[in-house]
Amino acid sequence: MTARADLVPRSAEPRPIRKVLVANRGEIAIRVCRTLREMDIPSVTIYSEPDRGAPHARAGEESYPIGPADPARSYLDIERVLEVARRAGADAIHPGYGFLAERAEFARACRERDLVFLGPSPESMERLGNKAAARRAAMRLGVPVVPGEEDVDSAERALEAARKVGYPVLLKAAGGGGGRGMRRVESAEGLGGAFESARREAQASFGDPRVFVEKCVHPARHVEIQILGDGRDAVAFGERECSLQRRYQKVLEESPSPALGSGTREAMERAAVSLARDAGYAGAATVEFLLGPEGSFYFLEVNTRLQVEHPVTEMRFGIDLVRAQIEIASGRALPRPSAPRGHAIEARLNAEDPYRGYLPQSGTLLLLEWPRGEGIRVDAGIAPGQTLHTHYDSLLAKIIAHGRDREEARARLLGALRSLALLGVATNQGFLIDVLEDPEFIRGETFTHTLESREWRGPSSVPDEAVLAAAIAMATPRPRRGGEREDADRYSPWRSLGAWGRPVPVAAAGSGS
Amino acid sequence: VSRPVALRWNGRLLEADLALRLPHASIELEGRHLEATIHRDGDWIEARIGERAVRCAAVAGSRGVWVAHEGRTYFLDRVHREAAGRSDLDTDEVRAPMTGRVVAVAARPGAAAREGDLLVTIEAMKMEFRLTAPEAGRVIEVTCSEGDRVELGQLLVKLAPGNAETAP
Repeated sequence: MTARADLVPRSAEPRPIRKVLVANRGEIAIRVCRTLREMDIPSVTIYSEPDRGAPHARAGEESYPIGPADPARSYLDIERVLEVARRAGADAIHPGYGFLAERAEFARACRERDLVFLGPSPESMERLGNKAAARRAAMRLGVPVVPGEEDVDSAERALEAARKVGYPVLLKAAGGGGGRGMRRVESAEGLGGAFESARREAQASFGDPRVFVEKCVHPARHVEIQILGDGRDAVAFGERECSLQRRYQKVLEESPSPALGSGTREAMERAAVSLARDAGYAGAATVEFLLGPEGSFYFLEVNTRLQVEHPVTEMRFGIDLVRAQIEIASGRALPRPSAPRGHAIEARLNAEDPYRGYLPQSGTLLLLEWPRGEGIRVDAGIAPGQTLHTHYDSLLAKIIAHGRDREEARARLLGALRSLALLGVATNQGFLIDVLEDPEFIRGETFTHTLESREWRGPSSVPDEAVLAAAIAMATPRPRRGGEREDADRYSPWRSLGAWGRPVPVAAAGSGS
Repeated sequence: VSRPVALRWNGRLLEADLALRLPHASIELEGRHLEATIHRDGDWIEARIGERAVRCAAVAGSRGVWVAHEGRTYFLDRVHREAAGRSDLDTDEVRAPMTGRVVAVAARPGAAAREGDLLVTIEAMKMEFRLTAPEAGRVIEVTCSEGDRVELGQLLVKLAPGNAETAP
């Protein structure tokens, strides 16, 4: 590909990228390093004190300590991150998702130091990343939005707004994303307490206490459109359905949505592209919608970054979105979406106890074996022997399955989850299996309330075979495999990277669809 | 040689007798009898039980055993025989499930609590977690206050289980 002659970028001057600092941790840092290695671009990672032994600290060519556990003094500390970039001689920064990915001030600080921020310009981030501004832009462009009130700053105003749009309502952090600071309120009685609580969380998470009051669309699906823009034009890469959530955190994501007709999909893609074009957006973004009853849809927000669930799109479209981000920043032409193939489903493996309020879990990984197989991709941020803390997000890995159709993808993901073995830390692995086996999931009846409206009990007893294995393990010392040593190579990130399948659609020989 | 095994899972006591003469193993468990031929490969234990072949991963530590079976993971606590029969706890202890900050304390010493009543709200990882009474009882002691930083496992509230519906 060559640079397009008519390309007039509105952000930093495009130029070849020679060395990238990955300003993140865990699975996403490792995943970005993987693409950089494939592009022969040296990568640099950073790690906080508790992450010293984490695999992402060994995933790049170089790695630098960034500070203590507290994100504000490490991964979120703009000056420290920029100082590492300077010392390492990086000319670009990939922010991953979370942390600094959606901080316009960070994108601006990068530009001031002549570093390429692998994301949008601070200006388009402000236009689209701010919920209130994005909502106004959507209304101006004729994209439907959920009825509601912006920037509510008191419980009295929240009550008034809720009465106007009608209960149930959702309270959301104005500065936020990822469900933090979100509350569903059924009636006026619960509003005051929920408002104060949402405001505290909004302040703690985003340093911005403003809250939105919104009508709650019900039953609703969460459907989002992946787009890539080059500052002038934008293209859509289909949708992902991410309705299955707990506490507004996604658990399972898939593409295509089992509920989207082609007409609605095209309308959503048009809406997403018009928002991106309007903002002169360059890079990868996701435009989130609520899909209501009878094909009605409402714009929710724009995530001006790579999403956690981006592999679902990669597997269907045979595209590497991180590579696309880098190529766009280097001034290359926008990639054109090929015809999507088959179906992909992603499961998020979290260190949490889904049967006890999703409480985060910690511990040391005693055994870890990833699944392999046709159509299976594992994006992991952990390695055997690692001690997991609760300082950060509980996401350990993503298991993604691709198949010719939804049922094949579902069966492959189930098989992968059944063969995955992780000991030493409790995870939601069994819960993911429960959901994939559930008749409602199998029928594609996935709504934003599905997971939380039901009780998930987990197994009621331990299978006899498992008790037998436990008794044998207690009674006999662990035999070593021939020549096996507890050496450093066992924990090498190259091993954990090994299970990362290339984002190539399955079914070279299959019929596809 | 047969040896007794006592484990606890989800509060339930599992008592078994294991006879091991590798590659043969048999276990008596709650009146059920299981015989298997065992093949060990590192932490993996393959058991052939009649026509069935079952693969489990198991790692034993001082506190208990982790077992993975068909994608589900169990942690079984070791139980010392002499303690197995005793009800060792006559109070409930509500402990911090993670390191975080106390944002609200609803529990008051001496107050009655019904099962599920809110006791303490903790903020960690930018989310709020509501810690509730595991069963009905009376609050004996509150060992945290609003704004405290608390460590994983730190005692927050002690509760005496029992009928909470007594007059104030």
